[in-house]
Amino acid sequence: MDWDQFDLNPKTIAALKKADIKSVREVLNLSGADLQRLMKLSSADIQCLLKTVSLTLRRNSMLTALQLYQDKDHFTSQHQKLSLGCSVLDNLLKGGIPLVGITELAGESSAGKTQISLQLCLCVQYPYKYGGLESGAVYICTEDVFPSKRLQQLIDQQHKLRADVPAEIIRKIRFGNSIFVEQAADLDTFQQCITRRLSLLLARGMVRLVVIDSMAALFRCEFGPAQSALKARYLQTFGAQLHSLSTRFRTPIMCINQVTDAVSESEAAQCSCRVEGSRVTPALGITWSNQLLMRLMVSRVPLPRHSPGAASHCAGSMRTLHVVFAPHLPPSFCYYTVQLEGVKGIK
Amino acid sequence: MQREVGTLPLAPALRARLAAAGFQTAQELLDTGPCGLSKEIGISREEALEVLQVVRQECHGDAARTAGGSGATRKCTALELLEEEQSQGFIITFCSALDNILGGGVQLTKITEICGAPGVGKTQLCMQLAVDVQIPECFGGVAGEAVFIDTEGSFMVDRVADIAAACVQHCHLIAEAQQEEDLRKALETFSLENILSHIYYFRCRDYTELLAQVYLLPEFLSEHSKVRLVVIDGIAFPFRHDFEDLSLRTRLLNGLAQQLIIIANDHKSAVVLTNQMTTRIGQSQSTLVPALGESWGHAATVRLIFHWDNSQRLATLYKSPSQKESTIAYHITSHGFRDVQPPAVTHSTEGTEPNPRKRPRTEEEKQ
Repeated sequence: MDWDQFDLNPKTIAALKKADIKSVREVLNLSGADLQRLMKLSSADIQCLLKTVSLTLRRNSMLTALQLYQDKDHFTSQHQKLSLGCSVLDNLLKGGIPLVGITELAGESSAGKTQISLQLCLCVQYPYKYGGLESGAVYICTEDVFPSKRLQQLIDQQHKLRADVPAEIIRKIRFGNSIFVEQAADLDTFQQCITRRLSLLLARGMVRLVVIDSMAALFRCEFGPAQSALKARYLQTFGAQLHSLSTRFRTPIMCINQVTDAVSESEAAQCSCRVEGSRVTPALGITWSNQLLMRLMVSRVPLPRHSPGAASHCAGSMRTLHVVFAPHLPPSFCYYTVQLEGVKGIK
Repeated sequence: MQREVGTLPLAPALRARLAAAGFQTAQELLDTGPCGLSKEIGISREEALEVLQVVRQECHGDAARTAGGSGATRKCTALELLEEEQSQGFIITFCSALDNILGGGVQLTKITEICGAPGVGKTQLCMQLAVDVQIPECFGGVAGEAVFIDTEGSFMVDRVADIAAACVQHCHLIAEAQQEEDLRKALETFSLENILSHIYYFRCRDYTELLAQVYLLPEFLSEHSKVRLVVIDGIAFPFRHDFEDLSLRTRLLNGLAQQLIIIANDHKSAVVLTNQMTTRIGQSQSTLVPALGESWGHAATVRLIFHWDNSQRLATLYKSPSQKESTIAYHITSHGFRDVQPPAVTHSTEGTEPNPRKRPRTEEEKQ
């Protein structure tokens, strides 16, 4: 750390160098009294040091809520979201997936989680005008092999799903080229993947969506009930790393999660799953829930009795997408089906 | 700052040199800086630095004396404190049940902590308070501004806009019902753009940025003297990873708590923090407790815990110096934080609901 470039008293700079303080973080980690003792300066000097160091870190960081509201720039605006490719689903989410933060998609097996994430990997490649982010996606598989055949099917049928996009634009996008598939079957590989490969791809601007399928698989076998503290620490570290990548590069992170049975009513209540008649809660507990911005749950439910018309139309393949919690959405749900061209909501 | 050089406690020879070089006020000395000063009057750099230090100390002492001193000790009686506390405003939450158990609303000059599981409504309450602090005084608000420090990225400005629009509409209804001139006048400056422009938003991505921001807060609050609310959403997130040394974390949190208490007192604002919940494994069962440990529990004056009971959201007042422990139910609607059932009142009495300040006066008149 080059202290000379700071706007500080030369006496303070000399004392900093003598006390071997190398970074802003070290300065802020010490209390005022500790700094006084270490650097042998008066309290006024230390206050001045703390203010200068804090100013350098936080210069020009204030925004008013009005500026956030009126910001229409593609890259920084909060109004910009990642569309799901279907207007019904986008309406449920008031635009789509928020760009900063970890969104979780939880549900039983074969409820449609992988289908939705594959669809997102294609949607992110469309221009901003059509709800995309003009960039690629990273798909991190932790247990199953990547469903490349299904992806090819979806690519071939994109013109059918996205009837709102002109055909030349769809033809121009090389969908397969921009989806990077990573395999990470254990915690160390996963850690490597996030800290090295992911940050490289994000820094180069080649991807603007990260899908992790699934988080729970990493933790299922390795941790017994006695090691819950260690498991919590891993979850918090991963959550923090993903969160920081998401913030730095304004990239949505979609984590797929599995569900476990809720043993008691109170357990279901703890995870705030208000899905009607459901006795399952997302895996990984409250430690992981604390890292999330938004939680969505998908399920296959029995056909609704009050709409026989819909029942005859799509027998057996009706699913629901629930918003469990989000800072900008009320708890709500909508129905959807999985068809050849992808996931489509039903009004 | 305008103090004459001749009155500063410096050596006479030094004073003579300063006078000869043409310095008249202390401000000029400070503006010149150490290098300039040593060149102008021909003394060494170290001596110039010492002179400037003396000047700064003197000016600081003067400022403290004229301001009536945050550094100097004040004496006052408990009766004066009681009167001050009773005249203090509260920031209402629009959920009258919650306001009642808090004794009127979120109190100024105190730290309130909101703990709860994800999705229960902590950020919603923070956004509601950031809007409610701006309600004009004639409607029973404190007419202040808000600082929102976001560590998790959960501040969605569209949602704040909805809450603000609902609040403005509520005030319009009251003004129409009561037909008073000052209410209508106050509403001219109480609009959506106005409310949003007075919420000052800071995004801190790790605990170092948070610490730095809190160091800079006192100066920011002095420049923006109308700020009456500081929200940190959430305080636990940056501190719950990255720390092998838990004693460092405890020390930093204690330091943070002390600074926030000073800020709350000096600038007469409410400080609202949100905390996460963690599982504590007991002998036979596990319970949810607020995160960050036992010692952090002492930092906040008032502690609210939000939790679920089947599908009803509940708020429990867990710690308060003046109110008793109780639990109420609340709702989060598209308009924001609200009661479970809207109180069944006519328009005229609905007007007195959000005016806690006006109530005491009419009671005294009756007596």
